[in-house]
Amino acid sequence: MSEFDSLMHGMGLILSFHHLALMVIGVLLGILVGVLPGLGAPNGVALLLPLTFTMSPTSAIILLSCMYWGALFGGSITSILFNIPGEPSSVATTFDGYPLARQGRAGEALTAAFTSALLGALVGVLLLTFLSSRIAAFAMEFSSPEFFAVYLLAFCTFIGMSKNPPLKTVAAMMIGFAMAAVGMDTVSGNLRLTFDQPALLSGISFEVAVIGLFGIGEILCTVEEGLVFRGEQARITLRTVLGTWKQLPRYWLTWLRSALVGCWMGVTPGGPTAASFMSYSLARRFSKNREGFGKGELEGVIAPETADHSAGTSALLPMLTLGIPGSATAAVMLGGLMIWGLHPGPTLFAEQHDFVWSLIASMYLGNVVSLIVVLATVPLFAAILRIPFCIIAPIIFTVCVIGAYSVHNSLFDVWLMLGFGILGYAFKKLGYPIAPLVLAAVLGDKAEDAFRQSMLFSDGQLGIFWSNPLVGSLTTAALLMLCWPLLARCLQALRLGQPRAKVRPS
Amino acid sequence: MAADSLITTRWVELGLAAFTAGLGGIVMVGSLEQGIGWGDAGPEPGYFPFYIGLLLTLASLATALQTLWRWQALRTSFVERAAFGQVLRVFLPMLAFVVALPLLGLYLTAFLFIAWFMARDRQRQRRYGAWQILATAGGVSLASYLIFALWFKVPLDAGPLADLTRLLRSLS
Repeated sequence: MSEFDSLMHGMGLILSFHHLALMVIGVLLGILVGVLPGLGAPNGVALLLPLTFTMSPTSAIILLSCMYWGALFGGSITSILFNIPGEPSSVATTFDGYPLARQGRAGEALTAAFTSALLGALVGVLLLTFLSSRIAAFAMEFSSPEFFAVYLLAFCTFIGMSKNPPLKTVAAMMIGFAMAAVGMDTVSGNLRLTFDQPALLSGISFEVAVIGLFGIGEILCTVEEGLVFRGEQARITLRTVLGTWKQLPRYWLTWLRSALVGCWMGVTPGGPTAASFMSYSLARRFSKNREGFGKGELEGVIAPETADHSAGTSALLPMLTLGIPGSATAAVMLGGLMIWGLHPGPTLFAEQHDFVWSLIASMYLGNVVSLIVVLATVPLFAAILRIPFCIIAPIIFTVCVIGAYSVHNSLFDVWLMLGFGILGYAFKKLGYPIAPLVLAAVLGDKAEDAFRQSMLFSDGQLGIFWSNPLVGSLTTAALLMLCWPLLARCLQALRLGQPRAKVRPS
Repeated sequence: MAADSLITTRWVELGLAAFTAGLGGIVMVGSLEQGIGWGDAGPEPGYFPFYIGLLLTLASLATALQTLWRWQALRTSFVERAAFGQVLRVFLPMLAFVVALPLLGLYLTAFLFIAWFMARDRQRQRRYGAWQILATAGGVSLASYLIFALWFKVPLDAGPLADLTRLLRSLS
């Protein structure tokens, strides 16, 4: 039970007024960015990052992770009340959440969403508590080729599993890698790809890219769609909450299934968005009242929310143990860890025992705090959404400018952010994914180091990636993932080629 | 419908693919400068980025080919003229913000930016009054000073306002 002891130790470390206050602030800011169009969890965390440089890493990670939970909760508020997903991962929640709100059952839908979100998150945290030190211990054996193979697996899974066209995913990812390569080469100390421009000497920060791509791009898209908020009223009383809680145990199977889907998609870099859609469609397929889906079925809110949050939490498992984030937000947090001077990966568990376990302990507490805060503040945030966009948009932009400027105190970064904003607008409209770009921008240097070290070991022979069973199976799995769309199509063709065994008349 | 369209999706697809292919080309050229081969200490600095640039260019070219392949299907409008006007009405002030930033400093620029949006708003029946605009824009500027500069000690460029306070301080 050493995990339990460590967890209690972590609890002891974080139970202070200072940390609890940070949690509440983090959650409130998180709900705010989750609710506001144009701001989401990834760029909320990126915007907050420069403010954490003066804090201790433990306080900083509590603030950032609580912001993440808050943003996940905030996304469901807009989905249910306004039919506008504040986060891509809460799109599936709108399918049944908004119809429920239209029927005047908004309080019920919100309570169900928040509660199942909490339960989903707790499953993710349990997974993290009991698996992370084992995975970290296992990964301690890894050397450069294994690490590169793991990175390769993460990137190939993104390409193979993404809903976006694979070629566009590759292009976005390579832009991220190219960004990471700009500036000082970590091995030789040479300046690369700077073309003698002083502004490029310090490299291109991923924070600037995140703020531009997610923030500015999102505002431009929102403006183009001519968004008008037409929200439903929400009042949550203790009676609605208790009444909804009484109904929830009926849906234990949905909850369990969604949590499992969420954990799986969170650990592999499928991400919360894919998890919530998958969980929704599974819930519809297996539900007894399939007809009610899309018209306001409580189960249709529970399924995506549970999966969304369990994926969001379990995305931190590969981030902490292997240094590979499972979602865009986790990628930004990983960048934060590196800026604070920590090295995400298996050594983190050995060297930063206190930090890791305070983070895990804070996840239990933070999620409970989130539930309480979010239930109490729904009307407040619903009111914020009624502030006209012509006031909200310039404020969001101002905050984005401050965030981009404060990364290096450079004006060049603000221009870069604007450029990324245009790119983000075009990307979003043409179906290029943004998350792989961020992931590659954060991990680019580490992946390159691992690759170059492996090449040094082997004198430039690619065969090193099949030199032992572990690295060989990782690399092979990566290549399989990469070809997954092709394989799936072949399998489907084969299946269609065979005559169907039974055709049921409908 | 077609008359309102500013540009078709296929041209934007091609344009973006050309842009990313160009980026890939730049990365390859930059890597070649650094050497992409095998030096005394193992792989040279350009070794890894070169293939990144190559992959980026190849993926972009393939996307462009795919666009040509689906040329007829992609005849749909990328953006309507009116909608793009909306986007420009937001984007151009943003551009002005960034241009004005080094001249006016953050607080004044933010103030003017928010005031501009509120004054130009046509979605409400009633226009915003001068006081409302002044209070909102001033409030946001003040809040950003309090939160970022005072509380979190993030240095922001105050521009002429900083000069003004320095002047006032030297006078008193």
